[in-house]
Amino acid sequence: MEHKKQKSWKQAMKLNGRGLQILYRHYPQAVLSRIVYTIWTALTPYIGIYLSALIIDELAGGRDIHRLQFLVLLSLGAAAGIAMVTALLNRWKVIYNTGSWLMVERIYSEKLIGMDYAYLDATKTAELLSTIRQNETSAGWGFHRLMNSCEMLCSSVCTLLGGISLTVSLFASRVPDGTGPFTVLNHPVLVLLVIGLMLAITYLAPALSNKAGRYWAINADSHNLVNRLIGFFALLGYDRDAATDVRIYEQDKVCDKYNQDKEKNIFSSKGMFARLSWGPMGLYQAASAGVSVVFTGIVYGFVCLKAWAGAFGLGSVTQYVASITKVSGGMSSLIVALGHMRNNAPFMEQIFTFLDIPNHMYQGSLTVEKRRDRKYEVEFRDVSFKYPGSENYALSHVNMKFEVGKRLAVVGMNGSGKTTFIKLLCRLYDPTEGQILLNGIDIRKYNYGEYMNIFSVVFQDFQLFALPLGQNVAGRVDYDPVRAEDCLQKAGFGDRLEKMPKGLETYLYKDYDKEGVDISGGEAQKIAIARALYKDAPFIILDEPTAALDPVAEAEIYEKFDEIVEDKTAIYISHRLSSCKFCDRIAVFHEGSVIQQGTHTQLLSDEAGQYYALWNAQAQYYNEESND
Amino acid sequence: MKKEKPKYNMAQNTWFMVKLAWTSREKKVLVLGLLSALLAVAQNLVNLYVTPTILSAVERHASLQELAAVIGSFVLGLMLVSTGAAYVAANVKFGRVSVRCELLNRINRKAAVTSYPNVDDSGFRKVLTKSLESLCSDESAGEAIWTTLTTLVTNILGFVIYVSMLSAVEPVLILVILGTTGVSYFVTNRANGYRYRHREEEAEYVVRMDYLSRTGSQLSSAKDIRIFGLRPWLDELYQKGRAAYVAFHSKAQGIYLWGRVADLVLAFLRNGIAYLYLIALVLENNLPVAEFLLLFTAVSGFSEWITGILGEFSSLYKQSLDISVIRECLEYPEVFRFEDGEPLNPEGDKPYELRMEDVSFRYPGAEKDTLSHIDLTLHPGEKLAVVGLNGAGKTTLIKLLCGFLDPTQGRVLLDGKDIRDYNRRDYYRMFSAVFQSFSLLPGTIAANVAQMEDNISMEKVRACIEKAGLKEKVESLPQSCETLLNREVYEGAILLSGGETQRLMLARALYKDAPFVILDEPTAALDPIAESDMYQKYNQMTQGKSSVYISHRLASTRFCDRIILIDEGRIAEEGTHEALLKAGGKYAGLYGVQSKYYQEGAEDHGA
Repeated sequence: MEHKKQKSWKQAMKLNGRGLQILYRHYPQAVLSRIVYTIWTALTPYIGIYLSALIIDELAGGRDIHRLQFLVLLSLGAAAGIAMVTALLNRWKVIYNTGSWLMVERIYSEKLIGMDYAYLDATKTAELLSTIRQNETSAGWGFHRLMNSCEMLCSSVCTLLGGISLTVSLFASRVPDGTGPFTVLNHPVLVLLVIGLMLAITYLAPALSNKAGRYWAINADSHNLVNRLIGFFALLGYDRDAATDVRIYEQDKVCDKYNQDKEKNIFSSKGMFARLSWGPMGLYQAASAGVSVVFTGIVYGFVCLKAWAGAFGLGSVTQYVASITKVSGGMSSLIVALGHMRNNAPFMEQIFTFLDIPNHMYQGSLTVEKRRDRKYEVEFRDVSFKYPGSENYALSHVNMKFEVGKRLAVVGMNGSGKTTFIKLLCRLYDPTEGQILLNGIDIRKYNYGEYMNIFSVVFQDFQLFALPLGQNVAGRVDYDPVRAEDCLQKAGFGDRLEKMPKGLETYLYKDYDKEGVDISGGEAQKIAIARALYKDAPFIILDEPTAALDPVAEAEIYEKFDEIVEDKTAIYISHRLSSCKFCDRIAVFHEGSVIQQGTHTQLLSDEAGQYYALWNAQAQYYNEESND
Repeated sequence: MKKEKPKYNMAQNTWFMVKLAWTSREKKVLVLGLLSALLAVAQNLVNLYVTPTILSAVERHASLQELAAVIGSFVLGLMLVSTGAAYVAANVKFGRVSVRCELLNRINRKAAVTSYPNVDDSGFRKVLTKSLESLCSDESAGEAIWTTLTTLVTNILGFVIYVSMLSAVEPVLILVILGTTGVSYFVTNRANGYRYRHREEEAEYVVRMDYLSRTGSQLSSAKDIRIFGLRPWLDELYQKGRAAYVAFHSKAQGIYLWGRVADLVLAFLRNGIAYLYLIALVLENNLPVAEFLLLFTAVSGFSEWITGILGEFSSLYKQSLDISVIRECLEYPEVFRFEDGEPLNPEGDKPYELRMEDVSFRYPGAEKDTLSHIDLTLHPGEKLAVVGLNGAGKTTLIKLLCGFLDPTQGRVLLDGKDIRDYNRRDYYRMFSAVFQSFSLLPGTIAANVAQMEDNISMEKVRACIEKAGLKEKVESLPQSCETLLNREVYEGAILLSGGETQRLMLARALYKDAPFVILDEPTAALDPIAESDMYQKYNQMTQGKSSVYISHRLASTRFCDRIILIDEGRIAEEGTHEALLKAGGKYAGLYGVQSKYYQEGAEDHGA
């Protein structure tokens, strides 16, 4: 895949930098605390190394009891002090960083909730996000890796600086003259040679380890597929809704087939990664560890020779050995950190592709005039629409004017464009061609939120939230309980409301609050209708509102609608043509066009028309005469 | 908090896991685990001795050859253990993953075939959910226990070696270290335990924040959020939730801080005593400085082993609780018979009779029966329709017939024999069913029709697809029957519309070709013409079979031989459509409500 291409260092740093900025903008405390903590913990070990070297030197040399006492106390005190500060910094860090996956997820969800519906609805967006999330969960690519590698970078740079400052004297201090061949240790060429060798090994060890790590990155796509398959087949039994089907069709057998296949599961003991680790990946890791040991050997050799020849004392030996080992560790992790940042760059780029999806809809600025008489005239003028990426028109050349205060029914077969029509009206999508006008002005010129204010919609797949009932009706935390209750009454939820344990404060469902109450589909629908009433918008749209209801409940709702809707302009979409008969006008959609308009009686008199066909498809079951 | 006693203890659960690794052909988990523990101890010992020994050579000003030999042998030794450890570490994971997958598979299989009442049983649900949590990632108990066991072995070995080393010098020192480390561990642990003890509270914050973020960003709620301007509402609740979460951690960390303070004071004491004692040895007994360094390092090393042992035991304890739950889930009692029941071999063409004899059913914990005293016979080849309002008991009736639930009272008989005697899995082979909620597999269309992946009869698949009215659609796809379904799993997969999915489910039922056909309210989301077409399809597919058709759309049941109306848990009326209408009872009433508008329409039109 394209995004796996290596980025240049410059691009990589730019991408990482931008990622860090985004994180800092969302969570300044989290980023700051992590960095400060990292720097502190990278530098403080040197204090211990330095002080214990002093103690050893004193023990091996002067053995002054007072100085020893002082040094020991200093060392213990310093250790305690450092531990205290570390604890405080850690507290700061943990408080602001716990639940970091939630924090990252929030960045995405804020983008999603503010995104143009057209983009949100696009399969491409969903696929992009799901790839981002999978890369995140399978190997931590993305923001998590970014934060970790930044931390690592800070830490290794500090370790390097601290270590180098404690080791400069190793190379600078001279073996005393007159020690014969050992004076060669003072020769700058030898010193450079040793340093060069150390650097080479320091580079080699992590490079080998990175080589092993590359295998994971290269195969990111195949783990994702395996994870998704396991995610499905290892959890199918858990899915309550599937339980009857699983038993009747013995789907446990297919599950077994996938779950027991040790070769296909690339993580298992017979999978691809196990084979790779037994071979090259494992060998690279071992070689990397071996090379590090060579480094330790060289350090010991060089330091001990110098000490043996009398360049410095025992204490310094421990100090140098400990510091150089740290410097080497610092170098390695610097290289690893940079490698991670580079490998992570394409994943960050993917994230930015998502975060940079533009918002076109929020550009209008006109306010919608508040009118008491509800005289809002909306008109479709030669509107055509294609879904993004689609060849075919979902709507073509639709002209329609809504009459204020009247009832309009929209009917047609599945896929005839009814729902698209509503989506355009509510500005979830903008027309590809033509215009929708509100009081004569193109709706794109209005402020998005203001335009939305004139619509109340009960979608067929409406969504309630697992939050308090009253808040669901009002759509806000602070609401008018009297009005909410009144709307619920009108929607026919009154009796049920009385049975709710905490009234309007009762949580719906159990996802958010364990004390929440489960409600049936029909009850949910009534709440959704109450929500639409609470908003009290001039247009009310009901999308197939009776599908989940039984005949009695259906009849109840039909009879109530007229009264509920009052003087609002109402639009019904329905498969049950019987509900259309109430309406002042019926529009029949077919293959994206409005092919018939008129009253029920008018339309039914056209026996060649679509409406007649639709009507009879249903009516035949109820119409005794024509059936027998 | 009520403490439930786990069914199995720590030793039993450890043994269970060891045995599982052994029997599921993952012995390498044990071998590599032990090896990595040994290598870790070896690495620790080499590192402990390297500096002091070399230092001592320098201190004594030993010969150059000796110095070189000392350094050389240490490098070699270190090389050996380090490369070994790195290689083992690279390989240790895979066997562990396999063992976890094995458990996961067993749990899934248990959940997929367990007696249906268990699916809704809160006790089973609880152990099932917990089991999955304990197996969901490499950090959860089902896999992490191996790391714990390995580390525990490492720490115990290290502890034993260090004890013998230090006791040669000064046994009192051991007591001091044991004492300070032990106290420090328990204080810190107690403080850290705050978060563990309040984990449910913490989980609640997480669940809430997650819910708000997730629901707010889902496509399914996007329309409502935009139309009703719900974003500020959800944002406000999220911010409140986040603040509460931070406050919780602030409090937990405050307590944790005291643990750290106690820890550093005790470390101060421990190291102080060690320093004083060892320095005195150097000054008075002329202990070599290298030896001093060795012992001082050993003191802090020893204290780490102790902390390690205590810490790993407490992890093992927690993980053992989780594993105990996994075992409880696997051993959860079955109310149906499976392997111990009589085998049953359904033949597609053989006429079977299904009968309910005075059947009553009450859901566990309910106050009254959902169905009471039902007598009903489904004759061979009969088409039966079940109608009634929502909540009347239609679905429960079907679940009893299909053997998903057993009657609280009375019997369900297949050709006169109580179905409880049969192997329930065999009994399910008697049914081709289309339920309201279905389970679509990620895989090809053909695999979804055949419900298997190998040995599919493609000819039969194509025939079923045609009968179900899906032929045109399938042929329009470039890969026809081999087209993949489920976009969440396969990137190139396609999405079928509601109506197409219905037809696919129908094709699947046809492919199974079982003696009984069950259709549960399948047309809710279809337009009038598709709906009408679907009825025709049902009519065709049930030819010559016994079938049960459930609907609250009364009109759709006319193709059935007999209709029963369920009302308040009883069969209120029974007969053909015409007979029921004539009787003028409840059925006629409901029909009237539903058809009112159509009939008036027809009259208007006719007039």
